[in-house]
Amino acid sequence: MTVNSTIAHQRLILSGDRERFKELLRRRLIECGWRDQVRMLCREVVKENEGNNVTFDLLLTRVTPQARALVPDSVKKELLLKLKTHLLTQKDQ
Amino acid sequence: MNDSGCIHLNNFKAAKGTNPYKIVHAFFVSCTSYEARRYKATSCLCFACGQTGPRMHSCLHCIYFACYGGHVLDHSKTKKHFLYVDLSYGNIFCAQCQDYIYDREFTDISRTLRLKEAKSLGISVPFTPWLPNNNEAMALRRLRKRRLISPHTTIGLRGLQNLGSTCFMNCIVQTLIHTPLLRDYFLGEKHKCKTQGSGKCLVCEVSKLFQEFYSGAKTPLTLHRLLHLIWTHARHLAGYEQQDAHEFFIATLDVLHRHCMNGVEDTEKKENGRCNCIIDQIFTGGLQSDVVCTSCSGVSTTIDPFWDISLDVAGPGSLQACLERFTRAEHLGSAAKIKCSNCRAYRESTKQLTLETLPIVASFHLKRFEHSSQIDRKISAFVSFPAELDMTPFMSTHRRAVDAADNNNAPEGIFEDNRYSLFAVVNHLGSLDAGHYTAYVRQMKGSWFKCDDHMITRASLREVLDSEGYLLFYHKTVLEYECEVS
Ligand SMILES: [Zn+2]
Ligand SMILES: [Zn+2]
Ligand SMILES: [Zn+2]
Ligand SMILES: [Zn+2]
Ligand SMILES: [Zn+2]
Ligand SMILES: [Zn+2]
Repeated sequence: MTVNSTIAHQRLILSGDRERFKELLRRRLIECGWRDQVRMLCREVVKENEGNNVTFDLLLTRVTPQARALVPDSVKKELLLKLKTHLLTQKDQ
Repeated sequence: MNDSGCIHLNNFKAAKGTNPYKIVHAFFVSCTSYEARRYKATSCLCFACGQTGPRMHSCLHCIYFACYGGHVLDHSKTKKHFLYVDLSYGNIFCAQCQDYIYDREFTDISRTLRLKEAKSLGISVPFTPWLPNNNEAMALRRLRKRRLISPHTTIGLRGLQNLGSTCFMNCIVQTLIHTPLLRDYFLGEKHKCKTQGSGKCLVCEVSKLFQEFYSGAKTPLTLHRLLHLIWTHARHLAGYEQQDAHEFFIATLDVLHRHCMNGVEDTEKKENGRCNCIIDQIFTGGLQSDVVCTSCSGVSTTIDPFWDISLDVAGPGSLQACLERFTRAEHLGSAAKIKCSNCRAYRESTKQLTLETLPIVASFHLKRFEHSSQIDRKISAFVSFPAELDMTPFMSTHRRAVDAADNNNAPEGIFEDNRYSLFAVVNHLGSLDAGHYTAYVRQMKGSWFKCDDHMITRASLREVLDSEGYLLFYHKTVLEYECEVS
């Protein structure tokens, strides 16, 4: 992370906006069905490994690539645009 | 996976209690104060490599911050500290079990702190799905009958007999039955009646009606009991001649609201005197009126509750255009001077209406009937309306921000969500004196039906959107929840 992005990041936390953006993202991912899709992916991994102890790290390595790819472009675009607008208006103050 | 933790966590809790977890959580996971956010913003860096990730953890024993990219493991080896709090979610990692572990007590602490954080930031609380308690789980096991809701189900759909020009009532009843939150309220048996079985409570009658609609039977229903109850409480609607569906809608809400007030629900009245009954919770919004004096620019603001918005139909157009006109500042002219409290004189002024608070169900009434001393007529101009409607442009806060375009505040609406989805349309067909009412209702997402008295037929969204439209009903797309934190 560069110095600038560190400052932007700290500002987001300080103002509470990071949590607001997180909540917005969470909502969008639920609305578009992403969460249900990822839940199904996790179930598949657990089923494949029946009998073995499925750890969080195993789930993470198996599910993350597909889960990332499943995030709709519209959601990425909206978040990116809103973050950009937000950071630019913050800078002026 | 169970939620009773692991032996290592249980030993830790026995020695140190839950306080270490609470402190780490309140400062670095769910910040409940500005102070905490300052700590989180500046100090959540790995003590070993100085990075902000991946996956920052705090040692529960000595509050050492370490990333999951190897430094958690290093710390656990050198210090023999095995329990870590994930700083993004508050989950507990046990280095001896080599996995995250779940502990009921910690989960509860985490949930409470998350709610506190949401409240302190004014974020709406995420919806938590219903979990049956022990009694409910037992009841579910006892009741073996299950109904599977398939995409082709016709559950909740029933025709209504026409009792002689009662289509104006039928279409409103169909709309109310398919109002999602009202359905949840009644099927959840939330109405606790004071007048137990007196047969006079309209809320109880509607409650029974919901049971009838969802009983699985398909024969058309007859609403004479309901009609009789509404007639006794709203005398101006009595009689068998054709009535206006809009008038009936407002009268029904009014009687329902009054019967809620006489029931148990009046104990839920808010301190500010505003009614908190289910009707007001769903249908009431706040209309702001700003009157600006043209001489001194003094503003006088009033906010009035509303159940629906009546819009003028000037000619062909769209619902959004009607709303834009409705919320536009209007010059009142020299013939309508208003006394300005600032100037202490009668002045010309401008008046602007905006939406201060939005109801969960936004109901629009297109004024297609014109009654004047000379002529009564119906305006059949085509007004398009969308399936998804964003109400942000018509909000008081938005209008203020647009008017003061030179301010450099963060643009409104980044975190606001004022999207609405169409769920019912009432249509008036034919002429003023020989008309007929029908309703389109959304039974499930993407599944529309036309209700023409006793006849129910499947309809397409296109058909709904192409219809003339007299009353339009929109439901908030995403519901927000208030949190109750002690
Ligand atoms: Zn430690
Ligand atoms: Zn590190
Ligand atoms: Zn353990
Ligand atoms: Zn009752
Ligand atoms: Zn009320
Ligand atoms: Zn004045």
